[in-house]
Amino acid sequence: MTEDQKQQSKQDEPRIGVYVCHCGLNIAGSVDCAEVAKFAATLPHVVLAQDNRYTCSDQGQAGIQKDIKEKKLNRVVVASCSPRLHEPTFRKTCEDAGLNKYLFEMANIREHCSWVHLYDRKAGTEKAKDLVKMAVAKATLLQPAEEIEVPITRKVLVIGGGVAGIQAALDLADTGYKVYLVEKEPSIGGMMARIDKTFPTMDCSICILAPKMSDIGHHPNVELLTNSEVSEVKGYIGNFHVKVLKKARYVTKDCTACGECVKVCPIVTANEFDVGLATRHGIYTPFAQAVPSTYIIDMNLCLNKDGVIVCDKCIKACERQAIKFEMKPEIQEMEVGTIVVATGADVFDPSVIPDYGYGKFPNVITSLEFERLINAGGPSGGHLIRPSDKQIPKRVAFIQCVGSRSEKTGKPYCSNVCCMNTIKDSLLIKEHWPDTEIYVFYVDIRAYGKGFEDLYKRARKEGVVFIRGLPAEIREDKRTHNLWLIGENTLKSELYRTNADMVILSIGLEARKDSETIQRLLTLSRNQDGFFLEAHPKLRPVDAATGGIFFAGCAESPKDIKDSVTQASAAAARAGILMAKGKVTVEAITPIPFPEKCKACGLCIKVCPYNALTLDKEKKRVTVIEAACGGCGTCAAECTFGALTQSHFTDEQIIAQIDAITEYDANKKTVAFCCNWCSYAGADFAGVSRMQYPAHARIIRTMCSGRVSIKFIERAFARGAAAVLVSGCHIGDCHYINANYQTQKRVERTWKKMEQNGLNKERLQLLWASAAEGEKFATKIREMQSIVENVKPEEIEKTQKVFEKALEGS
Amino acid sequence: MPERIRHPPLDKEKMEQVQTEIHLIEDQCKGCGYCIEYCPRKVLEESNEINARGVHIPKVSDISKCIMCSFCTAVCPDFAIFVEEKPARKVKED
Amino acid sequence: MDSSDATVKQVRHRILEADKLKNCFECGICTASCSMAEMLGNEYGPRKLLEDIYANPEEALASEAIWVCAWCYRCYNRCPQGLKVPEILLSLRKTAVERGQTQAFDKALQKIVKHIPLPLIATFVCYHPERAGLKNEEVIDRIEQIREEMFGAKKKEKTGKSSKEKIAIIGSGPAGLAAAYELGRKKYAVTVFEALSEAGGMLRKAIPQYRLPKKLVAKEIEFIEDLGVEVRTGTEIGKNLSFEKLKKDGYGTFFVSTGAHKSQKLKIEGTDLKGVTHALDFLWDANLDKKIEVGHKVVVIGGGNVAVDAARTARCLGAADVTMLYRRSKEEMPANLREVEEAEHEGVKIEFLVSPKKILGENGNVCGIECTRMRLDEPDETGRKKAIPIEGSEFTREADRVILAIGETPDLAFLPKDVELNEDGTLWVNPLTMETTASGVFGGGDAVTGPASVIEAIRDGKRAAVSIENYLKTKKED
Repeated sequence: MTEDQKQQSKQDEPRIGVYVCHCGLNIAGSVDCAEVAKFAATLPHVVLAQDNRYTCSDQGQAGIQKDIKEKKLNRVVVASCSPRLHEPTFRKTCEDAGLNKYLFEMANIREHCSWVHLYDRKAGTEKAKDLVKMAVAKATLLQPAEEIEVPITRKVLVIGGGVAGIQAALDLADTGYKVYLVEKEPSIGGMMARIDKTFPTMDCSICILAPKMSDIGHHPNVELLTNSEVSEVKGYIGNFHVKVLKKARYVTKDCTACGECVKVCPIVTANEFDVGLATRHGIYTPFAQAVPSTYIIDMNLCLNKDGVIVCDKCIKACERQAIKFEMKPEIQEMEVGTIVVATGADVFDPSVIPDYGYGKFPNVITSLEFERLINAGGPSGGHLIRPSDKQIPKRVAFIQCVGSRSEKTGKPYCSNVCCMNTIKDSLLIKEHWPDTEIYVFYVDIRAYGKGFEDLYKRARKEGVVFIRGLPAEIREDKRTHNLWLIGENTLKSELYRTNADMVILSIGLEARKDSETIQRLLTLSRNQDGFFLEAHPKLRPVDAATGGIFFAGCAESPKDIKDSVTQASAAAARAGILMAKGKVTVEAITPIPFPEKCKACGLCIKVCPYNALTLDKEKKRVTVIEAACGGCGTCAAECTFGALTQSHFTDEQIIAQIDAITEYDANKKTVAFCCNWCSYAGADFAGVSRMQYPAHARIIRTMCSGRVSIKFIERAFARGAAAVLVSGCHIGDCHYINANYQTQKRVERTWKKMEQNGLNKERLQLLWASAAEGEKFATKIREMQSIVENVKPEEIEKTQKVFEKALEGS
Repeated sequence: MPERIRHPPLDKEKMEQVQTEIHLIEDQCKGCGYCIEYCPRKVLEESNEINARGVHIPKVSDISKCIMCSFCTAVCPDFAIFVEEKPARKVKED
Repeated sequence: MDSSDATVKQVRHRILEADKLKNCFECGICTASCSMAEMLGNEYGPRKLLEDIYANPEEALASEAIWVCAWCYRCYNRCPQGLKVPEILLSLRKTAVERGQTQAFDKALQKIVKHIPLPLIATFVCYHPERAGLKNEEVIDRIEQIREEMFGAKKKEKTGKSSKEKIAIIGSGPAGLAAAYELGRKKYAVTVFEALSEAGGMLRKAIPQYRLPKKLVAKEIEFIEDLGVEVRTGTEIGKNLSFEKLKKDGYGTFFVSTGAHKSQKLKIEGTDLKGVTHALDFLWDANLDKKIEVGHKVVVIGGGNVAVDAARTARCLGAADVTMLYRRSKEEMPANLREVEEAEHEGVKIEFLVSPKKILGENGNVCGIECTRMRLDEPDETGRKKAIPIEGSEFTREADRVILAIGETPDLAFLPKDVELNEDGTLWVNPLTMETTASGVFGGGDAVTGPASVIEAIRDGKRAAVSIENYLKTKKED
């Protein structure tokens, strides 16, 4: 935009164009768009108001651009879907037509209106009108802004060394970027290194993984940090400052993996890699093809753990003198531009299902233990033996859906890989021991992928018997340790009592217990099952909502190897896009200081989660480091002197929206403040899921709930609103690290004031809801309906008197 | 990976610890306490017995934890303590 | 559920949503756990019924299947979705009664009399609530009528078959009586040995009168005796008569159904104070109509069926304030949900997450209990969440009577060594044949499963009877 244009739009009267979208029948089905458009035309400063079918289409966008040029529009309002979806689209439309992209505003009349009031056309249309009114009121006060550019460090941090992490690291390293691959375990490889063969091709898993692992070990662009954990992440997209804790191995790189030390080590314990089915020593390598091949000492068990060299057998045995007990953990710091999270998943522990006897009956094992038993490099040399007597079983039973698809035990979702895993396992057994009978007890066989159905048919051809009906219980014969499975064959409607020598439970995948740590470090969201939440389930499946962070593999949801690798390459490509550009633009929603009002109290600096404000005590002014600013707006809400406001979410703009809501029938409405990342997204999710709730709420969007200052709440009440809802991310999960603590403080202060003045503090509600908790949001709105209906006129009058000071100035 | 490891290792006989006997030459001990302090498995503790030198000598608190690292032998200034493997059990019949 | 506009569609919608039937993925675990499905064969199964609610709700309401559920809650305990199948069936029953579709109830009674041993007891303890609006007396009469039609008029039989195949049933609880019922009908020579002075086991000892009138137990025992079965009360195997002596007397086959009557001891101070009793002793005394000083403030410790029965009996006897203390939460409570609801209805208070620490006494009498609050932690090996005491949360509550009901275990010391037991003291049996590790010795009921419901014991008795028959037939062929 040229200087002239800038000047023009600042001084000129606002000329607003309003477009009300039908979105096919998505909006038009429950909202009268023509009526809303007609209403919009009556609002001040609106020179054009029309309704169209698909505003986001090429045609629709071209129409807007034409109107901007011909009708000299200098503000555009589109009433359609959620800004989280199409704000960037329309901003570009405006920019291409020569209008500054910050002069555009959206009203969400789909996710927040038409989809949630499907059966109340009248109320939905009235609400849509209010939402358009709010958007127009804000648009009137919008000012043009320029985005600043920030350089991107061309380095990547990949957290997790499973097949997804390895693939992402290789793709990025091959592109030419420097990659830091951090892995918690002593070796990379993850789950894939443990399994025997992969479906549907029946490739040997470690054989196809080992070359990739070796590539990582040798790649000039990859710095491999195993036995390490990420301990701190600061910064923002393109400029992350990361600290990695490298735990001590006590063995240097001189180790040649000769294994002489293992022979003399007196400590013997269960090997985690073999899921406890084999032993290892105190000094060990997790498995034969480990990368790096350097051995490691388990200091929790070593006799020298108290710092005194009590046992020096391994030191003496090592010809290369590679064992150094003095090694200490180190912290390595690094600057990276993007982060790929590939931390993987955990498995379900079936000991919480007592009827299956896992842990009590020796011959009931999990599918992971089965993989280790049948693996030629495993504890039994590839012989499938019964743990009780080490004999080959003659009849084996697989039980599906253990810990998956269950509301009570385990998780409610389907773990994706277990059906195919069982089919593959049954074929492996038949390959080696063709006379072994195999029974698979299932509810549904999910063989959706390429080549999966063929594998299933192969299993049927080999004589694997599939019985639809899970066993209710497993009982053991005390003497032989054989097992009985008792269940119902649902296709025949008959009870079965099958004998089996060995039972394999097909356990499900669960989110890792330490994903909470990663979530805190990187301010990510997780869904209710504990997996990381992507920015958009269809259109941005590998992006995190936080810029610059991407997901790959089972960290995002359970999946097989092909999908993990695909997702890893996708994440690498997305990270590559950012880094190829070399710079990223920072959204112009940073604070605007008014030095003449500043009293240098320093409160704004205290609440900033990014340390993006500095105070010059002499000059009594506050300066903003735009590049570091996250855009939460908490500083603006904290300042009681009006010396700070947030660009594009100024006090005046928000107050204009509050006033627009409360102009008519304020006593029947709730003024709701929702934060962009969690609660607004949660409300969107409620809309996408078509959850129905009453139409009394009008949502004002802020980037963070920390932007909501006390005077906004007071203003809403002073204008006669029936209720106010403030909602944000869960405490501890705030997208802006900890800004929502301020929200809590402010709401509590307001509650206190209401109580002291004899007002019903139930009328101010505080809701913490994540982006996945659409149901929670809908429930809260339903609950508040009774509050809105039952508020008495005297109460409203009293509230208005108490808060009338908030009406001063606007 | 699963924290609760439910099945014992198939080769769990390897985890069986060596059976040891700790021999103390009582009157040579000067009660310095090094063997008690530096034993990595905390097998020894101070007893109430007093030897000819007038000091408390160590006693075994839990012989099953002893792993025969022989550090007590190495650290004793007076060569007053040593560890031996208990004689092997009866050899299995062929 | 309002009765005025209960259309079938509304009922179905409500069950799908509120009772969570939408989550059912038809795994068949409910039918596999169901005690009735086993005894009734392919004609009945909860899964089929749930499917009918989806596909054909009218038919579901009119079928006799909804009246046949015995409320043992085994399906609920095992269902991966946690569906409360008995509750779903109850709402169907209520709807059927409102719509006047009660013909199915009579058909159900006929099925019960045909296939289930001890139908009178089962109908009263197990198949309640909601007997299609009929009064108890009407139902008793109808069952006896059907039984007479099916099995012929009452007449005293002589001991049938050859007296070589003498079968000894040790314990006259529901499992033993059910086995006797089935074997007697097949004309085997059966003797039932009972340690107490009256037969019936828990039916007489623990289940209170208002749940199971004494006369029904008497009627069933009369029927069994008419079949030629000998019931010897006052004979405790292991005390009055040894197991070996039984063998010498010519008994070749045994069915061990001694139940679980050994009350578990609570290892805290004060259990020997006056006013502290074990629940089983308390209930036995109440059932013998002995005069009991039940006190004013009764505290029952425990959360199982026996605890609930003790609490309700205490209320019946006139205690003003009866409270149950259970150390875990409502979801983990092992007692039958129906019983708990009825108890709460009758005024029994239940406090969760509380555990007794010490029983306080004054002059040798109970005056109070010191308790701590508990919190739930990760599940242990039984799959239930462990209860951990919260430090410093001790509090005292007044009580003048304490009834301990923390669990019962079987007492199987009288059995020969070749009959192996499980780690928890229960009898190990082959789940298909109910045979123990000793050939010819079978087991069933609470002695095998630990404390469970009456219908499960009846099922065990029937299963064992079939198995004993097979065993004797193959023995004969050898």
